[in-house]
Amino acid sequence: MSATTGEQAGAGLLDAAGRAELERTWAARPGLWGWLTSTDHKSVATRYVATAFLFFLLGGLEAMVMRVQLARPENGLVDPDRYAQLFTMHGTTMMFLFGVPVQLAVATYLVPLMVGTRNVAFPRLNAFGFWTYLIGGLLLYGGFVLNTGPDAGWFSYVPLSGPQYSPGKRVDVWAQTVTFTEIAALVAAVEMIVTILKQRAPGMSLNRMPLYVWAVLVTSFVVLFAMPSVALASMMLAFDRLVGTHFFNPAEGGDPLLWQHLFWFFGHPEVYIMFIPATGFVSEIIPVFARRKMFGHTALVLSLVATGFLAFGLWVHHMFTTGLPQLGQSFFTAASMMIAIPNGVQIFCWIATLWAGRPRFATPLLFVLGFVFLFVLGGITGVMVASIPFDQQAHDTHFIVAHLHYVQLGGFVFPLFGAFYFWFPKVTGRMLSETLGRWNFWLFFAGVNVTFFPLHFLGLMGMTRRVYTYHPETGWGALNLLATVGAFMIAASVLVFLANVFRSLRSGAVAGDDPWGAHTLEWETPSPPPPYNFLHIPIVQGLYALWERTADRPVVTGMITHRREILLTTVLDAEPDVRYQHPGPSIAPLLAALAVGVTFIGGIFTTWAFVVGPVLLFPALMLWMWKQSPPAEPLTESEQPA
Amino acid sequence: MSERRSTVDVSGLTTVPFGHRSLLWWGSLGFAVIEGFTLLLMIASYFYLRTNELDWPPGRTPNPDLLIPSINTVLLVLVIVPMRMADTAAKRMDRAGVIRALLVAEVMTIVVTTLRWWELLALNVRWDAHAYASAAWGVVVLHSTLLVTDVFETGSLIALFASGKARRKHYPDVSDAADYQYFLSAIWVAIYLIVYWGPRVL
Repeated sequence: MSATTGEQAGAGLLDAAGRAELERTWAARPGLWGWLTSTDHKSVATRYVATAFLFFLLGGLEAMVMRVQLARPENGLVDPDRYAQLFTMHGTTMMFLFGVPVQLAVATYLVPLMVGTRNVAFPRLNAFGFWTYLIGGLLLYGGFVLNTGPDAGWFSYVPLSGPQYSPGKRVDVWAQTVTFTEIAALVAAVEMIVTILKQRAPGMSLNRMPLYVWAVLVTSFVVLFAMPSVALASMMLAFDRLVGTHFFNPAEGGDPLLWQHLFWFFGHPEVYIMFIPATGFVSEIIPVFARRKMFGHTALVLSLVATGFLAFGLWVHHMFTTGLPQLGQSFFTAASMMIAIPNGVQIFCWIATLWAGRPRFATPLLFVLGFVFLFVLGGITGVMVASIPFDQQAHDTHFIVAHLHYVQLGGFVFPLFGAFYFWFPKVTGRMLSETLGRWNFWLFFAGVNVTFFPLHFLGLMGMTRRVYTYHPETGWGALNLLATVGAFMIAASVLVFLANVFRSLRSGAVAGDDPWGAHTLEWETPSPPPPYNFLHIPIVQGLYALWERTADRPVVTGMITHRREILLTTVLDAEPDVRYQHPGPSIAPLLAALAVGVTFIGGIFTTWAFVVGPVLLFPALMLWMWKQSPPAEPLTESEQPA
Repeated sequence: MSERRSTVDVSGLTTVPFGHRSLLWWGSLGFAVIEGFTLLLMIASYFYLRTNELDWPPGRTPNPDLLIPSINTVLLVLVIVPMRMADTAAKRMDRAGVIRALLVAEVMTIVVTTLRWWELLALNVRWDAHAYASAAWGVVVLHSTLLVTDVFETGSLIALFASGKARRKHYPDVSDAADYQYFLSAIWVAIYLIVYWGPRVL
């Protein structure tokens, strides 16, 4: 059965009673219980982003302690054992508890609004993902507080992390933290893919999909194929440590390099899991502030897809010093250089758009420009280390530390801050201060360069990474002190950001629906958006939904309001296809996450946990699937008894 | 509201979609991709570790037995038949037919899951003997976790339909469960050939 088009004025639009019913149906439950059971993508995403940002602050504090320790030779602030925990915690936090989660969390907030739907595809799964992630984060920091923080580096190479060289529970805490975060990332990826493919507003055919949504789609596919690898690797490591398997034990036919392959088959794409959505932010911010349409939309989409594929052809460049066959080395060098092509195409498209536009240098655009500068620098050193002879000199030195921080901070954190400034008004209804925003940006930009540029030289001078101190005779003291000064500048900029957020929440200027004159659908809703997102599902008429629509602003009618109902559309052309009943709030996701927590945290201590955990999980899943809201009259077709 | 807006009325669209028109079908596909790819990487690791040994199985470790694994493989493939019948009954919205077919499938899957223990013993080596043993156990155990999940999933569908709590929107879930069963059986055939026959030819 197909949809029909109404001609007369306002045919089928919701009247006041219909609107009130829609609000009642989608309303959040009050109080703590409402918070614990919420499945609203905005509510879940907001706490997800806030939690990830908290971990960013903790990871930053760890970095500050390390930088103070290294500020002068033979410093005694922390001992080698604590230092090993600090760099492991810092890396694990930034990659597993901040980088990947924050990108997926922001996507969970923005994508349903951008594609014009009422919630993510699987709202309970979404809530489950958040709780699982939170348990993983608490496990890692609980371990750290109890002096059981992991200490074998964020990529936990065997044999160092194996049972022989890392007795105790520290590495187990790491392995299970990774397990939790990968579950969270995988469920987020599945729900993003399904939301994007099946819930786009009518008219938003694939060729009219915003670039950020493309970026999230590509990223989600990368997650789908990258995360299983680290899931498997961490499981093998846990089994080697807990039940005596020999996956990585060379004495019994195992292979330490298998760990490196499996880890980096995930670890390199992980960089792109953080970077690709960041390019999506850039592609949304630039046209709005350049005040023109994006130059080279198709080229940008193809670049995103190409980056997604090539991300899987690079992992061995982390292993150039392990003695691989030469043919393999050549292949991975070529692939590492090739990925510069789609990224270069993106950068040229962005520059062309700015060049041909009338740029308005507000804070979001400043962060984007900072991104271009820093990412190009990080990219250039990336091409340098793709060359094997150079890599063999620079491997495991501070040159790599400099490279990866330019790529990560420049390529991912700067666009993320730009995105915070850009979408904060939508989420909270209030603007952030431009003055504080500029302080935030310039302190951050200067701080990153002052901290990390000297590390290139320190690396070339022979300073290896992960050393807790050095002798005065090395001559590394001055550059290290400079880097530490830079770290304080970054810390100051983050404090300015926090001050900006708190000031704005209290007394920021009211934003209105669309303070920037932007073009994507989320700017059509009020700020902050209501629980149902859109009063009527909009109909999209062009690539720039709000810039290219006709005066009659067409919308969908005929959806029921006494049940949570969403509209499913066809994958390619987004034609209306199905009215779908959506589940409401539930405590089951939290209970299921707790059962998973019992399984994996208990598993560190006893294999019985792998029996008890699933037994606890079963009732939670029953509650999840069976306990829907009581059917409201009249029953829909789908609610008729089977 | 008296504004002039053109509208598209969707009230006539179905609310009980099957196959790729349903959200759950896409969700199941996503998780099957994740599980399938994890198994693929486990199998890749099995072959990677193979390169460290001259003999496979190494040393005096015997080849795996074939009898129980072969019987169990046939059984797991045959589960497809009742699941296919459940799928057809679901599309007819035939509640009794769904329950009947799912019950047969569930009994067969429970038998397969139970026999899986003897299938592991048929590897003729403990998981902590050496890397070959760890890899072979790893592949089979990983698939077994999916099998256990499948027993729970089919069981909960039977309970849902038998208790009378099922609604029409649950029929597509039966079809999705059938699709998942095809995936589970098909991937096992590959695992069976690699783990139980592989050592004889590698």
